[in-house]
Amino acid sequence: MTAAAAAIGYAGMTHLGLNSAVAAAERGFAVVGFDPDASRIAPLSRGEPTVIEPGLPELMAKNRTRLRFTSEASALASCEVVYISPDVPTDDTGTSDLAPLRALIAAVEPVMRPGAAMVVLSQVPPGFTRGLARAESRRFYQVETLIFGRAVERALHPERFIVGCADPARPLPPAFAAFLASFGCPILPMRYESAELCKISINFFLVASISAANSLAELSERIGADWSEIMPALRLDKRIGPHAYIAPGLGIAGGNLERDLATFVRMGGETGTDVGVVLAWQANSRHRRYWALRRLHETVLSRRTDPLIGVLGLAYKEDTHSTKNSPSLALIAELKPFRLRAFDPAVKVQPGWHPALAQAEDALDACRGADAVIIMTPWRPFSALAPAAIAEAMAGRVVIDPFGVLDGKAAAAAGLEHHRLGAPGG
Amino acid sequence: MLEHRNPNPALPKRVVVLGARGIIGKALVARLKAESAAVLALSSSDIDLLEEAAAERLRSLLRVDDALVVLAALTPDKGRDIATFMRNLRMGEAVASALGEGGCGQVIYLSTDGVYRMGPQLITEAAPADPPDLYGAMHKAREVMLASVVEPARLAILRATMVLAPNDTHGSYGANRFRRQARESGKITLSGRGEETRDQIYLDDLTSLIRSVLAHRSHGLLNAASGVSLSFLEVARLVAEQFAERPEIVFTPRTMPVTHRHYDITATRRAFPTFRFTAHADAIARVHRAEGL
Repeated sequence: MTAAAAAIGYAGMTHLGLNSAVAAAERGFAVVGFDPDASRIAPLSRGEPTVIEPGLPELMAKNRTRLRFTSEASALASCEVVYISPDVPTDDTGTSDLAPLRALIAAVEPVMRPGAAMVVLSQVPPGFTRGLARAESRRFYQVETLIFGRAVERALHPERFIVGCADPARPLPPAFAAFLASFGCPILPMRYESAELCKISINFFLVASISAANSLAELSERIGADWSEIMPALRLDKRIGPHAYIAPGLGIAGGNLERDLATFVRMGGETGTDVGVVLAWQANSRHRRYWALRRLHETVLSRRTDPLIGVLGLAYKEDTHSTKNSPSLALIAELKPFRLRAFDPAVKVQPGWHPALAQAEDALDACRGADAVIIMTPWRPFSALAPAAIAEAMAGRVVIDPFGVLDGKAAAAAGLEHHRLGAPGG
Repeated sequence: MLEHRNPNPALPKRVVVLGARGIIGKALVARLKAESAAVLALSSSDIDLLEEAAAERLRSLLRVDDALVVLAALTPDKGRDIATFMRNLRMGEAVASALGEGGCGQVIYLSTDGVYRMGPQLITEAAPADPPDLYGAMHKAREVMLASVVEPARLAILRATMVLAPNDTHGSYGANRFRRQARESGKITLSGRGEETRDQIYLDDLTSLIRSVLAHRSHGLLNAASGVSLSFLEVARLVAEQFAERPEIVFTPRTMPVTHRHYDITATRRAFPTFRFTAHADAIARVHRAEGL
């Protein structure tokens, strides 16, 4: 494929759109990145990524000549394929707000070439693409499988493309087909509704694994088993696999998985489909979300007066600066009466998060004088901290480390009381 | 889950306690009075909720800025039959009727964890209320009665698990009965080997929790449980340890299947982050001393 063959457009320059656009440029295509928000476009035009993802700055710099960012929708008129790619926000119940997405489509469609393919890449419920106005032969849905912190890798090397069409038997428009083919992975055309449900189906299997792992990790904590010893055995089972989502976590984190569960429950209710298993996953997620809060109460808050808590990590996960759905911020919100000191490599403490949350200079500074330290985001630099240095900095001994950033044995050897998801005693 | 209307916790102008002569009522009134709070303590001798004029009488006593704590109920030791169930409903009807016109600033209803069916599930406030007996059904019905007349932002429902209290007269299977058995016969009798696990809440903790709900003007639903469940055998041993002359723990053939109950008390942690529960061992020792043993 040559860059001259077709330009690819992306409407919506948030996490999903930006990473996808940069990956398309890396494949040799001229790319137009459009967003109606000029403040989002300005830094991108200067070559500055607006989201943190490993490899993104380098890839943007490398492909700068192929990447054009604009807040003028008319620029998309040069594109044979236009992806509708904004991240769709959700409320507390996991319900999508589709209004901004619909507004974007309404702004983009009039400027598109009549023969260009519109591809919805955003997270939409089954039925959404069928309901759009554009001619069916030029209207598509494509499943995105972005993972925060691995967005570039996922966009460059997709496992497959799942494409929703009006008629899967009909060939895709040549420019769209050629673009997808440039990634060298299987392409699976299917009905709009199948592709939209396929996205939910993928997340269902992830949630099923996560929920099973979290339930078994909890039992491990209570009966003297260690889930970290069990995981390798499961990964060697071909029916489970090396990439299975079986690392224990604080519920179903992230928002997108919850969105798909909420969509299933809503549609199940409407259609008379049994939703019991999903309700159980949701309940288990709510329970495990507050694991760190419960541990903190059991070990420190119920025992010490006016404790100081050190918080390592504020971001939603490592290698991102996003705090949306951050377990750390959710925990901080529950600790209003207590004093906190926090550090994150990519996120600064914001006023309004907590009445007594101080910004620490570095990770060890966040531990200084703390009665307990909680490691809420598993940033790699935190694992380089010497447990002995942490112990020396702290006033207390309790380290709540849900993801096992520190080595448990080394922490114990340093005199720390180390708590990890799935470990005996938690 | 509870939500708070009062960002700066302070007790209401007056607390009306309905059921003030019971174990919980007496302790709550004493606690509030110790803080110099204005309290109107009402028992069945002041208002018999089974009498026809009860609603009118209660209505005449209530002020718009009162907080009403409803503790009055005929407990299972007074009867587990349909007649007792109906009397309890009539009492609930009287309270609801009194609140139906004007009402007051806040209503706290003390319900029971008997609204939850026994089973292996971890109990949270989201657990379905599916009462297995008339006592649980009565409390659930009274919750619904009050919710039908009190606006949601003024109604707090606390579902209490077994209350550990001195001079308990209910005789429920657990620490209170074990202590009485030990005192009277030198023996504690367990069903099977006392394998069942249960939570319990110390009386002082329960009254503290009610006080917190009053001060925050909280509304919503909260389970009043400590979050720590022990087996009846563990409880029996803790009770036995209190006696200079250790009572014998006697195991008897089991007639009921083993059941367990554990709570996830995250909602309490979130609502009242600084609240501390008394450890069961300490609570059992305190009750023992309070009974002069």
